[in-house]
Amino acid sequence: MSYYDIDAILTEAERVPATFNHTIPLLGYLDNSPSLKAGTTVPLPLWLAEMLALASAGPSQQHSQESTSFTSLTLPSSLSTSVSQALKADPRAVALRDQSAHFYALGVRMLDLFEEPELGDVLRRTFVTRAGDVVMHARKAGSGTDDALGVGAQGEEFLRGLEEWERQLFRRAHDGAKGRREWMDGVKN
Amino acid sequence: MYGDQGNKLVQHAKRTQNLSHLPTYQTELVRAVTREVRDLDKDVTQLLEPFQGSFDPSADQATACTLLVNHLSMRRNKRCLLAYHRTRTDKLEELVWKGADVNDMPGKSRDDSTGAEGAAGSLSPQEEEYVRQYSDLLAAYKGQWTDIDLTGNLEPPRDLFIDVRVLKDAGEIQTEYGAINLTKNKAQLIAIYRGGCATMPEPRETKSVIQRFRERHIGIDFLG
Repeated sequence: MSYYDIDAILTEAERVPATFNHTIPLLGYLDNSPSLKAGTTVPLPLWLAEMLALASAGPSQQHSQESTSFTSLTLPSSLSTSVSQALKADPRAVALRDQSAHFYALGVRMLDLFEEPELGDVLRRTFVTRAGDVVMHARKAGSGTDDALGVGAQGEEFLRGLEEWERQLFRRAHDGAKGRREWMDGVKN
Repeated sequence: MYGDQGNKLVQHAKRTQNLSHLPTYQTELVRAVTREVRDLDKDVTQLLEPFQGSFDPSADQATACTLLVNHLSMRRNKRCLLAYHRTRTDKLEELVWKGADVNDMPGKSRDDSTGAEGAAGSLSPQEEEYVRQYSDLLAAYKGQWTDIDLTGNLEPPRDLFIDVRVLKDAGEIQTEYGAINLTKNKAQLIAIYRGGCATMPEPRETKSVIQRFRERHIGIDFLG
C-alpha cells in the first residue's frame, strides 16, 4: 500500500463506529453537540478512528484499570455478523457495494485491528467464489454483441454489486480477453 | 467535518485515473483544503498557548485528544493533497511520453487554433510549468540517442505507404523520399519509409512526414 494510493485513501474514509472513553469538550462537533461525552459512539472515518484507538492516553476516567486509548472501536455494520451470515449462505447474492465500496480492503484493515479469524475465512471464501463469476461475466461482456452485456437481469444485478477490488478484477479480465482477441485478429493477417 | 474536503479531492483523483484526458484542476477545493490545514494549525497553536511548551498529555487527556484529532486531520489533508497532485502529475508525464501535443495543451490563452481540444485551462500554472520542465527533461534524455526514438510508436508499421486524400492543391513537395505532387481530391499513396530490406522502418517517420505537411498547412486527410 503506497502513501499515494488513491484506493487506500478512499478506504480510510470508510466510517467505523468509535466509542469515546473520555469526555472531550472541544470535540463536540463530531457528535453535533456542545461537548463530546464519554461513552458516546460516533461513526468516525478509519484514518481518525484507528489512531485514536491505538494512541495511548493514560488511564481512563471511569475505569481506571482498562481502556487506555481515547476510543474503542467496533466492527462497522458492513462487516457485521448479519452480513457475514448472508455471505456464508450465498456469496453471490449479496451486493457488496451496498455494504461498502471498499468492502475487502476495509475488511483487511479491520482484521488488522480485530481478532476475527472467522470473518477472515468468510471474506476469503466470498472473494474466491465471486471472483469466478466476475471473470466469467468479464469475458462474456464484449465478446458477442457490442451493445448488450448479454448477462441477463440477474447478472446485471450482480455486476452492479461489485465492490472496488472486484471491479478492478472485472476490468483486467475484460481487458485481457479483449487484448487476446485483438492479438489473434492480428495474427491471422 | 475535517477531512471531508480532502476526501472530495481524492474522489476527483479517482475519477481522473479512469479518464483519458485530464479534467480541470480543482483550484477551489485545493484552496479549501489548505485553508483547513491552516485553521487547524492555528487551533493547535491556540490550544498549546496556555501551556507554555510544557504540555503533559496524560495530565490533560481532553486537550491531548483534541490535539491528536487536529493533528490527524492535518496529516490526512496533506495526504489527500499530495495524492491528488501526484495522480495528476503521473497523468501529465504519461501525456508527455505519448507526445500528445502537450506543448500546446498548457496554452491557456495562447493561440487556440492548435491545442483547442478541451484541454485548454485544465492545468494549474504550476502544472504547466511542470509539463514544460518535464518535456525539457525528456527531450534531453532522448537526445542521448539520436537513432532511437524513445517515444516512438511501439506498433510496427503495417505498410511502407500511407494512404492520403488531398484536400488542397499544393503542387510539388520535396520530401526526403523524393518529390510528391499533391493535387486536390486525389487519393494517393505516399511512401513513408525508406525502401530496401536492409533499412528498418522507423515508425516515427510517419509522424515526421505528417508533421511536415501540417507545418506547411497542406490539407490532407489521412486514410490509413
